[in-house]
Amino acid sequence: MFSEWKWVARGLYLLLNFCSLEVSGGLVQSCGHIIPESPVLTLGSNFTALCILNESCLDFGNIYANQIIWKIKNRVVPKEQYREINRTVSSVTFNDTSSLATPLTCNILADGQIEQNIYGITVTIGLPPEKPKNLSCIVHQVSKLTYPMTCTWNPGRHTFLDTHYRLKYRWPQENFPDCIPKDVNNSCTITDVQFFVNLEVWVEAANALGKAESDPLVLDPIEIVKPLSPHNLSVNSGILPTVLKLSWENRISAAVMKLKFNIRYRIVGDTNWMQVPPEDTASPRTSFSVQGLRPYTEYVFSIRCMKEDGVGYWSDWSEEKTGVTTEDKPSKGPPIWRVIDASCPPASWTVHLMWKPLKPFEANGVILQYEVTVRAKSSSSSPPEKYNVNTTNLTLKLPNGTYEVTVIAHNRVGASPPSVLLIPASNSKAPVKNVRTLPKDGKLWVEWTAPNSYVLKYVIEWCLVSNSSDCIIEWQNEPGSVQETYLKGGIKPFKCYLITVYPLYADGQGSGQSVKAYLQQARPSKGPTVQTKKVGKAEAVLTWNHLTVDEQNGFIRSYTIFYKTVDGNETAVTVDPSKTEYTLSSLTSDTLYTVRMMAYTDEGGRSGPDFTFTTQKFGKGEIEAIVVPVCLAFLLIVLLGVLFCFNKRDLIKKHIWPIVPDPSKSNIAQWSPQVPAKHNFSSKDQMYPEGSFTDVSVVEIEADDKKSFSEQDLKPFDLLKKEKSTSEGHSSGIGGSSCMSSPRQSVSDSDEGETTQNTSSTVQYSTVVLNGYRDQTPVQVFSRSESTQPLLDSEERSEDHTGGGDSTTQRQQYFKQNGGQDETNTDRPCFERTKQITSANEGDLVGFAQLQISGQNSQPLGLGLEKSTQEAALSDILHTSTEGQTVRPETVEGNPPSADEMPKSYLPQTVRQGGYMPQ
Amino acid sequence: MAAADSPSAALRRRDLCSRGIRLAGKMRSDVVDLLDAYVERQGLDASASVAAVEGVPAAAVERWDEQTGTQRLLENLAAYRAFRALLAQMLEEQREQLGEADTALGRALAAVLLQVSAFAYHLEELLRLESRGPPSEEGAGPPPAPHLGLFERKLRGLGVLRELAQWAVRSARDLRQLAKPTPGSGSAPSPAESP
Repeated sequence: MFSEWKWVARGLYLLLNFCSLEVSGGLVQSCGHIIPESPVLTLGSNFTALCILNESCLDFGNIYANQIIWKIKNRVVPKEQYREINRTVSSVTFNDTSSLATPLTCNILADGQIEQNIYGITVTIGLPPEKPKNLSCIVHQVSKLTYPMTCTWNPGRHTFLDTHYRLKYRWPQENFPDCIPKDVNNSCTITDVQFFVNLEVWVEAANALGKAESDPLVLDPIEIVKPLSPHNLSVNSGILPTVLKLSWENRISAAVMKLKFNIRYRIVGDTNWMQVPPEDTASPRTSFSVQGLRPYTEYVFSIRCMKEDGVGYWSDWSEEKTGVTTEDKPSKGPPIWRVIDASCPPASWTVHLMWKPLKPFEANGVILQYEVTVRAKSSSSSPPEKYNVNTTNLTLKLPNGTYEVTVIAHNRVGASPPSVLLIPASNSKAPVKNVRTLPKDGKLWVEWTAPNSYVLKYVIEWCLVSNSSDCIIEWQNEPGSVQETYLKGGIKPFKCYLITVYPLYADGQGSGQSVKAYLQQARPSKGPTVQTKKVGKAEAVLTWNHLTVDEQNGFIRSYTIFYKTVDGNETAVTVDPSKTEYTLSSLTSDTLYTVRMMAYTDEGGRSGPDFTFTTQKFGKGEIEAIVVPVCLAFLLIVLLGVLFCFNKRDLIKKHIWPIVPDPSKSNIAQWSPQVPAKHNFSSKDQMYPEGSFTDVSVVEIEADDKKSFSEQDLKPFDLLKKEKSTSEGHSSGIGGSSCMSSPRQSVSDSDEGETTQNTSSTVQYSTVVLNGYRDQTPVQVFSRSESTQPLLDSEERSEDHTGGGDSTTQRQQYFKQNGGQDETNTDRPCFERTKQITSANEGDLVGFAQLQISGQNSQPLGLGLEKSTQEAALSDILHTSTEGQTVRPETVEGNPPSADEMPKSYLPQTVRQGGYMPQ
Repeated sequence: MAAADSPSAALRRRDLCSRGIRLAGKMRSDVVDLLDAYVERQGLDASASVAAVEGVPAAAVERWDEQTGTQRLLENLAAYRAFRALLAQMLEEQREQLGEADTALGRALAAVLLQVSAFAYHLEELLRLESRGPPSEEGAGPPPAPHLGLFERKLRGLGVLRELAQWAVRSARDLRQLAKPTPGSGSAPSPAESP
């Protein structure tokens, strides 16, 4: 706001050529002016300005004071502030100059319409200077003879005007030139002052609105001196190892000022300063011996000074200088401890003696060596053993017993007092109680309750428990009077420490009491890895391993198992930290579960990896409960079936394995011209090895009931047809036909009546075995049947037909065919006859084709007879069979049996012997 | 004046004496330094003998211990008024001779001149406390400087500074004498307090 009022006093003439009415000689004359001209006003004061019109303008232009308009910049001042003093003078009054601005102009309305400017002034508004306050001065010594004095003051409020400050000073009888500040308004420096004469100092501030002076300050400049600090400080070690002598030069003349000093010092590396008692250095001096220092210690010194009487200012601290005290003999023996390894031979110990290097303030110099003395307490007569070592440990193998070990440290000056350790036979003394730890201020404190006996000192032994490294023992001694201490070592957070407290007595030591502790705990670095040990239908046994010490980061307070199904809520179970197994129960069967485990310390927990498992569908024993009964039932059924079959074996055999009469045992064997025993077929077993029979059929063909052949009945013939491909056709010697001859004819030729009788009463027939067994050459067997069953109708009728007997048309036709064959047998080759048959019934070609092949190849007469017989039988069968597939003859031509392979049979024998031999 | 017996007057007197002594000490120290600088700058021999400066009372005086306090003060005041005029003259001559080039010597001379002036003020104040005002300076100044050559002026300046150094010593002794608790004007100083 004040900035708006800050008007720079710059002249602005706004003399406008209004009175052009009166122009003479080319000069323009103003018709008026304002009083005061360019005033400087106090902010907030009132102000009145007058605008005075020239008389000449009045007369010439009829301009009067009542036409005057006052304006601030372009803003018209309200007419209430105007006052017409007379016809040529108008005044304007401002109660508060803060409403003013530059320029303030006097204007007039010419002819009542046109506003013309008469005159304008600039207005400067500000404040008079305040009385400078808080004047103070200080004399800074800059050299031995130069003492400039700097005075500062508070200039007060801003005046918005150009305000000049002057620092004035004088002696009572002499004035000095003013000190004029440069670039500032609150301080000034007098280049040189003289001491021991009172100097009167004050500040004068002045601007256009006024002048102000501060209260005068009367002082002797010697009382406000800040001297230069002493210089050329040097430190020299004295004779005594606890004294250093300081020397310096003062830079202010004693004639000017007597000085007192402050000396501060510290050990190198330490940040805390110590100070020589001020009263020791309260007098002028240039040297001082600092006492009570530590031997063989490097110190840093600094010094400052001020006027002896304390009037004035302290100098700055001087530059720092260092000095080292001389050596002294060690002040105490090194702390000693031991580790006894009793695992060696039973009668001796391995004792690891270890002692700590003395701290610098204890060593008082460079430790050159340690002298270790071991004295057996039991045998005082034996001399003590001494060892001089440079290290801080010594391993000894000692017989069991009690020993007193002393260690003495030596430096250049002398030896330390001995440190004594009693190595007892056993830790039989009273131990401490209630060992506990407490992290505090970044340190791990150990507290314990002292035993009742007087304790010489305590040994605190500790080591970092880790999987990756051995427990390296660290230790420290504490006086017997304390019951708490902190571990003086690099105790790391999140690490487990095993702390043991041993009390040492004058005559032995107590057993150690241990405790585990953390300086600071954190969450475990990983969670336990859980897995299932056993999974059931509704429960699962989870196992896990404890986290290693390095992973724990604190005391494991609990485990929490979280498990859930895929879409279910997570369930948490808290488990005691000592356990490594837990059984989850009430699980849903055949369900996938996800389980994880968190280990918690005091600072939080961390989860291990997820593990999934699926509960079983059946519980323990359920499967057995189902499977065992089923198996038992199955076995029972099988057993019953076996029993049933056993009981009904006859019936089964009848249906499955009917008894086939053994032709070899039939009565026809008796009519064989040769005893069956003569040939190799006497034994059925020999002739037909087990399994070689593919089928044995008894076929009855009724001429009038062709359809009575069921498929079942035909199966053997199907097989027969198939096996024809690998076997030659055979026919019984009875009722069969031959290409060349007919048995019937033979019979009839020989003894027709008897033959007829035989055939009508008991028909002998032979069993024809067609195939071999498993690619073996089939054995042709003709067995004379002893059956008394009537002959097959076909055969019988064939016989009958041959003999001219009546029969049905079909039979007649059928057998006519055969008869035709028979008729032409004498003059037609077998091939042709077969051909006829083929033309008659192509569906039955299979068997005939085979016969044809046989006949074509090498069939002698006898064989042809056999074939004819078989052909007759087969033709009947095939004739009544359903339309079968046409089997081309070529398919069976691959295995034409040779004559040599021809098995011995009944009929061939007869044929070879010259034909059929009727019985 | 009656003020001489009042406690405040005694305090004021002691203070003036104390500071006067120290001022004299500093003045002597500065003059000694200035002498070295002056000899060096003016190319003089430090061991050169200089005749007594005209117009300056000799610092050495017989029966010094028999002098009264006022007498001491008056002698001191006369001497320092003379030194003030001589030093001002020397400063002017030094400025004329060396111009502004040797500001260090000029500043040192000005500083000594100020101290001389300040010491004269101390003496005047003490004289006022001794119930008599300081004598008028009319006629107390040094006689008008004779027309001297440059070397003579240098030697004269050397003589002024040497005499001032001696007066500084004597003034300190005089003020110590005055500062004694018994303001007896005729008592002799104890040997221990003699400079």
